[in-house]
Amino acid sequence: MSEAAQHTIAHVERILAVIFGLVVLGVALVALKNDWHSKGIENQVFKMMLGLLALGAFLAILAAFNVLAGHGVEV
Amino acid sequence: MAVATIPHSPFAHDDPEVDLLYSETRELRVQGFLLFMVSDLVLFSSFIFAYLYLRSSGQGWPPPGGPKLDLALASINSVILFGSGATMHFALENWKHSKFMKFAGWMVATIVLGSLFLSGQVIEYAKLAVGWGDSGIFGAGFYTLTGMHGFHVFCGVIYLTVLLLQATHGTYTFKKYTGLTLGTLYWHFVDVIWVVLFSIFYLL
Repeated sequence: MSEAAQHTIAHVERILAVIFGLVVLGVALVALKNDWHSKGIENQVFKMMLGLLALGAFLAILAAFNVLAGHGVEV
Repeated sequence: MAVATIPHSPFAHDDPEVDLLYSETRELRVQGFLLFMVSDLVLFSSFIFAYLYLRSSGQGWPPPGGPKLDLALASINSVILFGSGATMHFALENWKHSKFMKFAGWMVATIVLGSLFLSGQVIEYAKLAVGWGDSGIFGAGFYTLTGMHGFHVFCGVIYLTVLLLQATHGTYTFKKYTGLTLGTLYWHFVDVIWVVLFSIFYLL
């Protein structure tokens, strides 16, 4: 595959990651808000995991924008 | 006294003795599953800390000549997995509101997204083009942790498929669905582990 084609694919991947990342972030935050007053041990775990899911989506968006990139990655 | 068991039957709610047993043991089963998740968390933590220790004790990171990871692919793949967490949440919510068809639709979406994530992992492994043996400390840590996580996702996809089949065959009722709750917990757990792995491999 040519280098130009690889760049195009990476570009499309980044755009999709940002769009779907924003959707997931929004859904996770709304679900967290709706479940905020729920009781029971599993619901407490659900709330914690929804929060971490939102954090993950946020990190993926930043990574797609190249705001966050580690040392061993291709940007 | 007759010994009541919890039957896998859509008519479970018709038996008051089973209803009582269900309500008495539900919390215990949830706690047991949470304990399993904690033990799994310890397993992942030990490998993560071993990787971080090796990483911090080396002469610069990544080691010279090591493979370069594809951040764009990892970003979209991560969003796919996190999206599957959202669809799983919708599935359980629809079950709670007695909407079977919507539940089934979201479950199928979750299973498809989980499978897509696994496909993305396979593509990433193929693109890295370094084998398990010749990739050094970096590759050993990467393949071990992402492979272990991928195995959990693979098991999760099978688990969710079984739950969907069970729900279709009336194993759970709209009042008694602990199995579905536990399946959702497991899938969220797999998502959350990936948040950590994504951060340490691609963002640090």
